[in-house]
Amino acid sequence: MAAEQPFTLAVPDADLELLHKKLDSVRFPDELEGAGWNYGAPLSDIKRLVDHWKNGFDWRKAETEINKLPMFTRDIDVDGFGTLNIHYVHQKSQVKNAIPLLFVHGWPGDFLEVRKLLPILTASDADHPSFHVVAISLPGFGFSEAPKKPGFAGPQYAQVFNKLMLSLGYEEYVYQGGDWGHILGMHAVNIYGHKHIKAWHTNMPMYRMPTLFQHPLLFLDMLRMPITFALNKTAKAQFQRGNDWRKTGMGYFIEQATKPQTLGYSLADSPVGLLAWIYEKLVTWTDKYPWSDDEVLEWISVYWFSRAGPAAAGRIYYEMTEGNQGDIFRGTKWTSVPVGASYFPGELARMPKGWAYTLGKLVFESEHDKGGHFAAFEQPEKLAGDLRKMFGKGGPAHGVVSGKNGYD
Amino acid sequence: MSNWARPFTVDVSDADLELLRKKLELVRFPDELQGADWEYGVPLEDIKRLTSHWRHSFDWRKAEAEINKFPQFTTDIEVDDYGALNVHYVHQKSTVENAVPLLFVHGWPGHFLEVRKILPLLTAASAEHPSFHVVAPSLPGFGFSEAPSKPGFAGYRYAELLHKLMLFLGYEEYVYQGGDLGHVLGVYVANAYGHKHLKAWHSNMPFYRPPSLLSNPLLFLELLTMPFNKTLSEQLSAATRFRKKGMGYYQVQATTPQTLGYSLADSPIGLLAWIYEKLYKAVDHYPWTDDEVLEWISVYWFSRPGPAANVRIYYELTGGNAHDLFEGTRWTSVPLGVSFFPGEPVRLPKSWAHLIGNVVFQSEHDAGGHFAAFEQPEKLASDLRKMFGRGGPAYRVISGKDGYA
Repeated sequence: MAAEQPFTLAVPDADLELLHKKLDSVRFPDELEGAGWNYGAPLSDIKRLVDHWKNGFDWRKAETEINKLPMFTRDIDVDGFGTLNIHYVHQKSQVKNAIPLLFVHGWPGDFLEVRKLLPILTASDADHPSFHVVAISLPGFGFSEAPKKPGFAGPQYAQVFNKLMLSLGYEEYVYQGGDWGHILGMHAVNIYGHKHIKAWHTNMPMYRMPTLFQHPLLFLDMLRMPITFALNKTAKAQFQRGNDWRKTGMGYFIEQATKPQTLGYSLADSPVGLLAWIYEKLVTWTDKYPWSDDEVLEWISVYWFSRAGPAAAGRIYYEMTEGNQGDIFRGTKWTSVPVGASYFPGELARMPKGWAYTLGKLVFESEHDKGGHFAAFEQPEKLAGDLRKMFGKGGPAHGVVSGKNGYD
Repeated sequence: MSNWARPFTVDVSDADLELLRKKLELVRFPDELQGADWEYGVPLEDIKRLTSHWRHSFDWRKAEAEINKFPQFTTDIEVDDYGALNVHYVHQKSTVENAVPLLFVHGWPGHFLEVRKILPLLTAASAEHPSFHVVAPSLPGFGFSEAPSKPGFAGYRYAELLHKLMLFLGYEEYVYQGGDLGHVLGVYVANAYGHKHLKAWHSNMPFYRPPSLLSNPLLFLELLTMPFNKTLSEQLSAATRFRKKGMGYYQVQATTPQTLGYSLADSPIGLLAWIYEKLYKAVDHYPWTDDEVLEWISVYWFSRPGPAANVRIYYELTGGNAHDLFEGTRWTSVPLGVSFFPGEPVRLPKSWAHLIGNVVFQSEHDAGGHFAAFEQPEKLASDLRKMFGRGGPAYRVISGKDGYA
């Protein structure tokens, strides 16, 4: 069982060569006149990005920058799944009593979503708390191994998280996540809450709809929605967006939740196929983020060169929904573990604000006027600001981790 | 604009063949979960085997030569607001002068070649059964037809194109056979041109909107009592399973076909897997050979507008998943025949066929699936012969063309 090893990203030359050979043989589709973004990622965007990928983008330079992050791998044993070699960033703060924080990405995200947050969270300053940050590559993503058999779901991911943090000496820690990072956070908190996870924060607060028995007041709220919407145009618009997204934005979800292998052949074999599949989300899920071609291509390249290959990542949808049959939150319920929620306007599925109470003991809420789904990447100052408020002196989750309140 | 039936031969360029060969050589396969089998999609060993066959054994030129034995043509058809679309089709006349003109329409992921086995049966002359003149087009965006160049080419545009093709060929009155989207488009043709031109039609995938209290009170009550009706439940459970587990392609194609299209245009194995999943799942124990599968996929790979164009039909028919496939259509009294094949995944209770149209013929089989014309050509041809033949419920729907010498 391999203990912690430092990790240096070094894509073999042969892999780079294959990518370029494929890019040289690319075959583009046609496009409807005036399609814009209505049918998916526009041809002119994809052509421009492919051209840059062939001629301008420097992977080795990007790799060198990534390698400036303190990265490691270690073996984690998961009951029933054997050993998985897990990749992670681990940046300690100079503040000895910094708060251990586990940052968990989603799809189509990766560990690098932490990169802009890292210097802010680990900074030492009398005015705000500091954090020791661990940013994991989820199994099947980035440079972590993927599970080899079916059934790797909520409890398994949670086990990986907890064992990783314990192995780093963090008996108690806090957690931040969005997208799958949020959903898995709910699972992790249900199993390891209080004992290990002392508080958590989400930038994609969502959960099951409230039921009459579990949350009668919220349930009544839900019944009153038509009236609420008549009076509150913002609430109505937000609900409408969520509704529209369910009708028109969930194709990727259903496919990955039912046939991730079928889709996987395209993603593994075609750089432009993978590019389009992910780029579409990078643009449509962010709030006017000014993507540079280099940023996009670096993001896609991490998927292209991922350790398990690009087909593995989408399986999380299948496993967490049991092949689109079940509830992603199965086995979880409200806990009294303190939770903080940040609302970013560009986020996809928006719950009415009161529903965050269904997640846990809601101690912190923050509403922003900018930022979307990839909050840590788009608005690192705002997200870090929220974490500092939540965990800092006078904050509602200050001192949750014994002996590690973020200040020396 | 050329308004004549130009004879057509499939003739893929050497450059295109070479590009395919090169891409197959550079293929990069994904991994697979242990014991996954078909649970997560097409198994890796199937794709690896088919890829190897495609690289080393499959002979496209031989397949092409066989395809070219069918009488194929292209013609420009003018569609309102879209200009002229060059349409590719098979047109096989019967030796019986008064044969019944029949339009055969494929769906997705089908193509015009689905007619190939049923063609000789339908066009055969006999005193025992009617004969047909058969027209089997490539839908716009599929096979060797041009694709529409602008958005909005929805149900009634397809119907217009199909109808004008029949008129162009001299068939003022005609009948129609379709399954999958061929069935869906049949509903549109019946709505727009029923009675006057479309005299009767047949579907091997009879389905429509579910009944509502106002539109079909009796069937609606049937729907409500479903939990207590075992047969109905069973019939619907297969459909429900398909809806839950097999509709990912539909959601993607109806909302982001362009995004998907980059994969289908660029990756032969991506295209292979995407389509083969349906070829495998939607048939009833059909013994696909690797050559059959690869020929089928190759027609998509080498299609005239490229493989990204065909998936747009789902977006256009549903308004980007804003509504169902049948928007703007209603029940019509045009005589309709329906055939039920046990392996059809899109399966509704038989009684619901009456929601579509004036059902005059029904047939139930014990073998065959979604690609009925390809899997069970004799059964399907026999149904059409019974429906349109002497003593049949749609005999002589076209005056002067009863199908017999």
